[in-house]
Amino acid sequence: MPGISRRKLLETLSAGAGALALGRFAEAAGAQQMHASDRLPPFTGPGANPYWSSVGPVATYPQKYPLILLTDRPVQLETPQHYFLSPFTPNGAFYVRWHLDEIPTTVDLAEWRLEVTGNVEKPLRFRFSELLSRFPSSSVAAVNQCSGNSRSRLQPRVPGGQWGNGAMGNAMWTGVRLAELLRAAGVKPGSLQVQFQGMDRGKGPAGHGSNAFLKSLDLSNPVIEECLVAYEMNGEPLPLLNGFPVRLVVPGYFATYWVKALTDIRVLDKTDENFWMKSAYRIPDTPRGATTPDDVKAGTVKMIPIGRMPVRSFFAAPEADAKVPLGMSVALRGIAFSGHGRVTRVDVSEDDGKTWAPAQLGQEYGAYSFRTWEFSWKPQRRGPHTLAVRATDEKGNVQSDEPVWNPGGYLWNRIERQQIMAGAAQ
Amino acid sequence: MTHRADFRGGREAGTTRPLALFFLSATAIVLAAGTLLYAQSERGDYTQRNLGSLAQPVVPAPTDDAKYSIGSYPLYWPELEAGEGKGLVTGYCNTCHSPRFVLMQPPLTRDQWAAEVGKMVKTFGLDIPESDQAIVIKYLAEHYSPETRKK
Repeated sequence: MPGISRRKLLETLSAGAGALALGRFAEAAGAQQMHASDRLPPFTGPGANPYWSSVGPVATYPQKYPLILLTDRPVQLETPQHYFLSPFTPNGAFYVRWHLDEIPTTVDLAEWRLEVTGNVEKPLRFRFSELLSRFPSSSVAAVNQCSGNSRSRLQPRVPGGQWGNGAMGNAMWTGVRLAELLRAAGVKPGSLQVQFQGMDRGKGPAGHGSNAFLKSLDLSNPVIEECLVAYEMNGEPLPLLNGFPVRLVVPGYFATYWVKALTDIRVLDKTDENFWMKSAYRIPDTPRGATTPDDVKAGTVKMIPIGRMPVRSFFAAPEADAKVPLGMSVALRGIAFSGHGRVTRVDVSEDDGKTWAPAQLGQEYGAYSFRTWEFSWKPQRRGPHTLAVRATDEKGNVQSDEPVWNPGGYLWNRIERQQIMAGAAQ
Repeated sequence: MTHRADFRGGREAGTTRPLALFFLSATAIVLAAGTLLYAQSERGDYTQRNLGSLAQPVVPAPTDDAKYSIGSYPLYWPELEAGEGKGLVTGYCNTCHSPRFVLMQPPLTRDQWAAEVGKMVKTFGLDIPESDQAIVIKYLAEHYSPETRKK
């Protein structure tokens, strides 16, 4: 029967193509002939990290669910992919990134004070209880994302925390508005910036970046009015690793400004020249912050402090190990956000980014929150499928498929892809 | 049985029944043979791989004072590759951070490692003689470069 043999031939061919593609699958994962009972290789490179997350072991920390360990002193922990199924990231799963190793393990609220000093009419010191009682509370849903999130994607690779995609989280932050505290202290005319410092200290000599972590924002920046000194995260006290008792919240901005375990707010009458502003966390003043190693070597790149987060979207499910029998529908799910405003559109591609179809957006929790998306997809053929997701924000920013490179490994926001295997159902 | 009766509905049962029975038993024979020849699944495969396990931490009982404490943070000390300079690397680098900062990096070239050490000295104020810097850079390039990195 020619009909059957032709079908058989087609099946054999597609199985062959599938096997080839499967080889690419395995190669992409850097894993050949590997089993779930094998240990993930401990590093990736010099190529890009092919995994959604970084490759460190999972580790246990106080007040935390098991998270992916990048470093143990200072502590850096990454949030695994599945936590991004929900619009709010649980406190126990929220990623952790400290710069200096002397971070609080005990906070005594009998001693603790938040000070507002510097170029002000009336320096102020607040007890924790005063922050709760003397000022009205405000809340904002806001994404906190490390400047170096996805750094391990860069080519060529750059030194630094080799994050996968999990150096981000979204929480409902509640606290006192920074502007209220500044008004209470009375900012003197001629003030330029406001500097923030937390309880963390390092072993380096005074005056060096290894001694204290200090970040500043321009007083003329409209974001000052949106900043919170947050004492609540998703309706609970902050975990110590996320900045108990209070941390700064800078909606739309990268997490480098969200100083943890905040104790000092200093109004400056000149521009902050400390290491963490003048040398670190700087990006090329170019579209998307992209440049090349050659231009950096040539010294032709103008660098500016990092600021707002570019638009991004992610797959949360299914994860990379998904194999689905043909004939079944798959719920593709994830989150999207932008530091420039609301996410207005998320598109999904089932053909590696050639064609796009709109995903369904979940509830909106404000301009700076994660927004969940969902797309019901039914594979039409056996074999690996490369799906892609792309977000657009209200300013018209759309994710690009071009990679980003800069020496700090910041601002990665290329279109994300997820491979899913459709298997035979009979 | 009632299901089947319902299903057959208005059909001519007399002619379809033997045919259906034939196909049913043929399918059963093929299935039985298939089960003998090809396992439908694999079971009970365990293997000693020691992926590692996570101990559950103690959650200390809280007190009602103003102190909020988590005790101390656990260290997960990694073993660096054996070789000349390992002691110096551990000693100097561990001043500010654990050796996991070295192991976390992708393979870096000798120039990149030299730049990292330079950054620790110039911007972070690490106090280290130049002769020791050279040993540290040599060790890092010998064990953690694209050509040499093993684990």
